[in-house]
Order: sequence, then C-alpha cells, then structure tokens
Amino acid sequence: MAGADSPSAALRRRDLCARGIRLAGKMRSDVVDLLDAYVEQQGLDASASVAAVEGLPPAAVERWDEQTGTQRLLENLAAYRAFRALLAQMLEEQREQLGEADAALGRALAAVLLQVSAFAYHLEELLRLESRGPPSEEEDGPPPQPRGLFEQKLRGLGVLRELAQWAVRSARDLRQLAKPGPGTGSAPSPAES
Amino acid sequence: DIHIQYERVGADVTMKCGSMDWDATVTWTANGTDIDESHLNGSYLILKNVDLTQSGQYSCYEGSSWHLKYQTYLRVGTPPREPVLMCRSNNYPKGFYCSWHLPTPTYIPNSFNISVIHGTKEMVCEKDAVPKNRCHIRYLQLFSTVKYKVTLTVTNALGKNFTTLTFDEFAIVKPDPPESVVAKPVPNNPRRLEVSWQNPSSWPDPESFPLKFFLRYRPLILDQWQHVELSDGTSHTITDAYAGKEYIIQVAAKDNDIGTWSDWSVAVHATPWTEEPKHLTTEAQITETTSASTSSFMVPPTTKICDKGAVVGSGAVAVCWTAGLVVAAYSVLFI
Repeated sequence: MAGADSPSAALRRRDLCARGIRLAGKMRSDVVDLLDAYVEQQGLDASASVAAVEGLPPAAVERWDEQTGTQRLLENLAAYRAFRALLAQMLEEQREQLGEADAALGRALAAVLLQVSAFAYHLEELLRLESRGPPSEEEDGPPPQPRGLFEQKLRGLGVLRELAQWAVRSARDLRQLAKPGPGTGSAPSPAES
Repeated sequence: DIHIQYERVGADVTMKCGSMDWDATVTWTANGTDIDESHLNGSYLILKNVDLTQSGQYSCYEGSSWHLKYQTYLRVGTPPREPVLMCRSNNYPKGFYCSWHLPTPTYIPNSFNISVIHGTKEMVCEKDAVPKNRCHIRYLQLFSTVKYKVTLTVTNALGKNFTTLTFDEFAIVKPDPPESVVAKPVPNNPRRLEVSWQNPSSWPDPESFPLKFFLRYRPLILDQWQHVELSDGTSHTITDAYAGKEYIIQVAAKDNDIGTWSDWSVAVHATPWTEEPKHLTTEAQITETTSASTSSFMVPPTTKICDKGAVVGSGAVAVCWTAGLVVAAYSVLFI
C-alpha cells in the first residue's frame, strides 16, 4: 500500500474528498427534503424542540478549525455509523407504523440510509489512506426500548435534523482535508488566524 | 450643582427654584431669555404640555439680588419604542454581529444592553467602537442545532423597551457582496462581455467555505434582467449581449450550503466591443489609390453594425443608416 504522503495517495485522497463533498451535498439536500416530508406526514411542528436523543451524535463542535484531519475523519465516521443504525431503526418503526400511506416516506428514508452508508464507506477509505485504518465497528447495542408512537416521531425529527447539520459539517471537514498543506494526518491543521 | 431633568413630550412640568419658598420673588429664564410671569405659580415655573422646542437651560434668579438660585437643563423626549434588531454572519465561521436602532428618536440619551444566550450558555457580545449600536460575537461552537436568543434592551430616563431575536447558526449567514467587479469587452466579439470579481474580503476562508455567485445583467435601455447562477469560479463570460449596447452588471454571493444571498455588488457598466469607425477611412483610402473606375463603395468585411442580432429597437436602425451614409460619402469623394 502506498505511503500516506505518496503522490498516488494524495491523488486518491483528493478524489475521495471531492466525491465525498459531492455526496455530502446531495445527502444534505435529500435530508432537508425528507425533513419537510417527515414533518408533514407525521403531523409535527417543524420548530418543535426535541429532547436529547440517546445515541444521536451531535454535530456541534468547539474549536472546529483546530481539529486534525484524522480527528475529523474519526468523528465523522463514528457519527455516520451511528446514523446508519438510527435510520435503520426509523425504517423499521416506519414499516410497523403504517402501510401504504407512508410508502414514499419509507423509500426516501431508505435512500438516505443508502447515502449514509456510502458516505461511511468513503470515510473508511480515507482513514485507510491515513495509514490508520478505520476503527472496528462496535457491537450492536442493547435492543431498542419500546417507545410510544409520538416519541418515535419526535426522535425521528431529532435524527434527521442532526443529520442535516452533519452533512453540512462533513462537506466542510472534507474541504479542510482536501486543502494542500503539511500533514493532513497527524500534524494539526493551521489554526484560524 | 448641574441638574438635568428629563420629561416626556406632552407632560406638565413644575420647576422649583431650589430651596426658595413658594412666595419668594424670582425671575426665571429659558436659555437666557426672561420667562413671562404668567408661567409662574409663586416661585414655581409651570410648563404645560411641553414639546421638544422647550428643551434648554432654565435658570432661576432671586428677585432683588439677581443671585442665581437654581439651574437645570430640561430635556424633553420620549420613552424608547421597541428597538429594531438585526443579527448577521458575514464572516462565517468566525462569528456574527448584531446591530440595532430605534425606529423613532427619543431626543434624550439612551443606553443599550444586549444579551446572547446559546442553550444555557450566556455569551458576551463585544461592542464595536464604530459603528455604534453594534456588537460582535465569536462562535464557540459550530454546526449546532441549538438556537441563539438575542435580547436587546434599550433604556432611557423615561422608560425602557426590548426586543428578542431567535435564530439558528445557519440562518443568519449572509456574506458581503463580491468586490472589485470588473466587466470588459472581448476584442473582436461584439456580443461578449467578460466579467470578473473577487470574494468579499470579510469572508475569512473561501476554500473551506466556498461561495457561489449570482450574476445579473441587462442593457441600460431595458428593464428585464438576465440571471446566471455560478457554483464556482469568480469570472463569467456573457455571450448574448446586444452589440453596441451599454450594459449594467451586478454580482451577489452566498455560501454554497447555508444562509442567504448577499446584497448586490456595486454596479459596473460595460459595452461590448464594436468595430472601430476608422476602418472605413482605411478602406476608402485604398479605393482612391487602386482604381478610379470603381463606382460602388466597398464595405469593410468586418463591419457588423447592421448585424441582425444587434438590432434592438429603433436606435439600431439609425446606426445602420448612419454607417451607410458615411461609407457612401467616402465613396462619392473618391470615385
């Protein structure tokens, strides 16, 4: 395997970043559309505040500009793996809830889940280029507790909102990563002036 | 002792002459001018239904000695109405600023207090020296879904008022307009204009936070704008300009992913390249030297003044006519 700083690795990184950025952009756009449809279908108030959702990775980050490339990749990967599980759970609940009425919603959810998986794969590839390799996936957590319908809907709202934030953050993270310069790997990226 | 007295427009004001008894003989002046006795109740000065013009220095003098017994500055004004508050991030992701003003003046000094809360955390908005009525805040967190709540309270001697703004991080992102917009004609291309511009200098990191742009252009003689959205790059070539027409061009910017469009940039004017009239002179001179028998004029091959695509309204017809006349005139001279 080529060393982290070899020209071919640099090209591959740039290529993965560029594709990842496009994917993040598409994902965000689809999640925003899905959010609108979800809010309407589920009869929710778009501005409803949602209590902290267990297992939901917050996109909010302090000193974002000071993160190293590896930190960015690891945090993103952990987040998207979590979203993969959360969206799969939402899909499951969706299927149990209603049949035909929400078929379109179910399809949109599945499409986003696919994009989330694809993005996670991109991140794993980028981590392999860092000669770090992606961390192994955690074992499945305890089975989800039974939740009331309304609680499920609110959780879904929280998940989609946070995913929309992550999609924006991820595009920024990848752009930082794609910047030419010393050590996007272990050396700290230049702090904001 | 300097006294300042604030009173509402329309109020009735009673001024006492310091510690003088009610029945003392006094003279009051307003800005040095004696006040008529009809406004006095004993030694008290009564001003009914005060208006803004009655603001000023009021002095009270003891009757016989003309000693100054009391002096006050009367400031007539109003309590503040609900202030107008605006918050915006033109330097994302560094931070944002909030600015405010009162919808109507109070005519007396006001003080402003601003509080910014993000979730449970209180943040400090540092006041700017210039302009006044503005403060800025650095983002401590990015990509947060938690809303910001900004409360502005305005207080003066006659009352207070406040307003609150709630928003999320992405919603207030609005870059400044693009800078250094330049539009140039393209040589030998009568329908093209090359436009270039720069990212606003206040936008700190266009590499990680790229901007997209919106260009609008129209000939001065028309009202309808043409629009082009550009997802990257800071230049664009207009290829459908009307030949010979002066254009007005503007550009706006927006973060690629979030927020709203900037205001339009300063407008620039440009006219596409047109054939130089002196080419006709050159051809006419050649006609003179080569052959005296040539009876018809030769139109320079590059002349496109009467190009179909260039015809816009009645103006273009005049251009065609004039060009033909010029060419004909030269030819007549040299036959």
